[in-house]
Amino acid sequence: MDKIARIDMGAPGGPKVTVGSLGEYAGLGGRAMTSLVVAAEVHPLAHALGAENKLVISPGMLSGTTGSMTGRLSVGCKSPLTGTIKESNAGGQAAQVLARLGYAAVILEGKPVGDDLYKIVIDKDGIQVIVDNSLKLMDNYPLVARLRQEYGDKVAYMTIGSAGERKLLAASIACTDPELRPTRHCGRGGVGAVMGAKRVKAIIINDAGTKMRPPKDPDAYRDANRKFVEGLRKHPVTGEGLPAYGTNVLTNVLNEAGGYPTNNFKTGQFSGSADLSGETQAALEIARGGSATHGCHRGCVIQCSGIYNDKDGNYVTKQPEYETVWSHGGHCGISNLDTVAKLDYMDDNIGVDTIEMGVTIGVAMEAGLAEFGDDAAAIRLLEEVEKGTPLGRVLGCGAAVTGKVFGVERVPVVKDQALPAYDPRAVQGIGVTYATTTQGADHTAGYAIATNILKVGGDVDPLKTEGQIELSRNLQIATAAIDSTGMCLFIAFAIMDQPETFQALLDMLGSFHGISMTGDDVVALGKKVLSAERDFNTRAGFTKHHDRLPRFFYNEPIAPHNQVFMMKDEELDDVFNW
Amino acid sequence: MTLETVALHLAAGQLNTFFPLLQQGVVVPATVGCSLKSLLCDQFAIPAEYVANRITTVFVDNRPVDDLDRTLVQDGSRVTLSGAMPGLVGATMRRGGFYAALRQGISHAADHIEGVGERGCIRVKLFNLLLGELGPLILAHGLIQDQDELTALLRHFPGQYKKTSSDTGRVLLTVSFME
Repeated sequence: MDKIARIDMGAPGGPKVTVGSLGEYAGLGGRAMTSLVVAAEVHPLAHALGAENKLVISPGMLSGTTGSMTGRLSVGCKSPLTGTIKESNAGGQAAQVLARLGYAAVILEGKPVGDDLYKIVIDKDGIQVIVDNSLKLMDNYPLVARLRQEYGDKVAYMTIGSAGERKLLAASIACTDPELRPTRHCGRGGVGAVMGAKRVKAIIINDAGTKMRPPKDPDAYRDANRKFVEGLRKHPVTGEGLPAYGTNVLTNVLNEAGGYPTNNFKTGQFSGSADLSGETQAALEIARGGSATHGCHRGCVIQCSGIYNDKDGNYVTKQPEYETVWSHGGHCGISNLDTVAKLDYMDDNIGVDTIEMGVTIGVAMEAGLAEFGDDAAAIRLLEEVEKGTPLGRVLGCGAAVTGKVFGVERVPVVKDQALPAYDPRAVQGIGVTYATTTQGADHTAGYAIATNILKVGGDVDPLKTEGQIELSRNLQIATAAIDSTGMCLFIAFAIMDQPETFQALLDMLGSFHGISMTGDDVVALGKKVLSAERDFNTRAGFTKHHDRLPRFFYNEPIAPHNQVFMMKDEELDDVFNW
Repeated sequence: MTLETVALHLAAGQLNTFFPLLQQGVVVPATVGCSLKSLLCDQFAIPAEYVANRITTVFVDNRPVDDLDRTLVQDGSRVTLSGAMPGLVGATMRRGGFYAALRQGISHAADHIEGVGERGCIRVKLFNLLLGELGPLILAHGLIQDQDELTALLRHFPGQYKKTSSDTGRVLLTVSFME
């Protein structure tokens, strides 16, 4: 990965491609690349859908290699949903293919005049930007099917559905999985709307004629990767729980803890949770001839996904993840997995974030547009988004906009991004991250549970109250670093519990790049990324007063524990004090 | 009170029929007033090493538990057992885990446990990998079921059906599996 492609979509005479060296961005990948480019090159007060914004697409530092779990792709920009800096990442094949073509980043700049719609073809011979208005308002599944007729099956596709073209604030960018289904989404923050604003409908990435990226020390890299895979396979979460049940294994546990937000965060337990659980879902998938174990990209050994079929054995969607099952399920009072699967398919097809969309439907139910628990009504509301009706455009702009339009007070967002599936009144420490992350409410912003072994911030006594602040800070630092490697965040479990697996990861990074990496280097990278993101947000007008949860979390106790969110503002203000 | 006992002896492949029931919770007779560790190891005969290494997430009455020796099991307690969970919240719920502070407001407080207790009933739930691994032990220990629950369950095993005549309307169901 020794080059960066810049595509000026607004260049006089039509889009212009420039390929250059890495310059000051040498050695970066993933979130480090997207955030440092956006922080340096995008005016913080730019309109997110305007020509000044940039969409930065970057594979991770180890993507395109033979290393396992290296297939995450980061997309960054100024978010039209939050107004903050944004990094949204996904699995699928795109990161591996783009990295093998040598691109550390592809940056979409400017904005074309007129209504022409473009597709971008990237292969070993270069980059072509082609007008293709026949793709207008196509949704992701039929769009990819059409593109496959022209470009075949040995490529990776990044696409936007109708939501992206309509510049809806919940719009995602889809990345195809190994079976070329558009199921892996850079979902959060409306990155699909930014791609739509630049009038780019699809990016076709073809790595034919390329080879795996060569490590500086092939033997050491192979050995480190072998140890890394062994570590993942022997750990009970990455080697057993996730392959058997996927992330939805969390439904039962969150419900048992009283932290499962139900009926738009009114209570912490849902009577229908067992019907939605990962255990039930996996049994159903297997019984219907689908699969409860499936990887989102080649080289994945965790295999946390699956295939969800209908009762007749026909493909419906990939295995909905925990956050999706929650947002379209318990959050809306719905306990039917078939309904959730249909909504998941519709989200992927239209191209919207499943968390944002499910939370929005719950807010719409709160507003009286439908009853909680009304499966058919939830589908009807999403059909409005699909059709692009005025109501659908409101809903497709997310929970915050929908709450404002319909006068709803209980709107679970931070910086206008919907909260994920963990109630911060029950799990207070999660609330610290929701409130303070640079990205708007995001569970993955503090997900890399490897802080103990990284010794981020020194030795923390987690049993002290102030430990929650320190833990959130350290989690966010570790996550920013792992998001930069292209590694799936789920590796964090094995890293946390098995020092030899963490060492194997460091050895992979070191032997690939020919450097000696330590835990301190990883921490330094995470801090550098977060500092740049915080600085961008400050210049964009965000202050400590934006690092807060909505007031209802402080005022409305949640059953069964009858707790409110109790972290003090001054404690939240201390999270980024390093 | 003496309960009529219904015993089932089933093929090993029929264990998963009980997973929905075990996931939602079953009432089991137990000596209560003891520690959770004692319940698991002494009464359910789960090996201590298994308890330490595989039952990594435990709830009593919706509260995550850190110390099994200092958690009191009482008549009517709801005990939930789970394997290791993914995600930050999964790590947070882990028994005695590094991230336990993140849920300290809902954690189960340490109890004072005085000694041998009396007979009672508790509700046990099993999640994820523990369904297959601990299900046979719990089913062999015995579940208290009312007639309606039993009748519904026995529909899955028509060859095993036995009409019962319990005065109390409840029976003790024990299930064993062929090797």
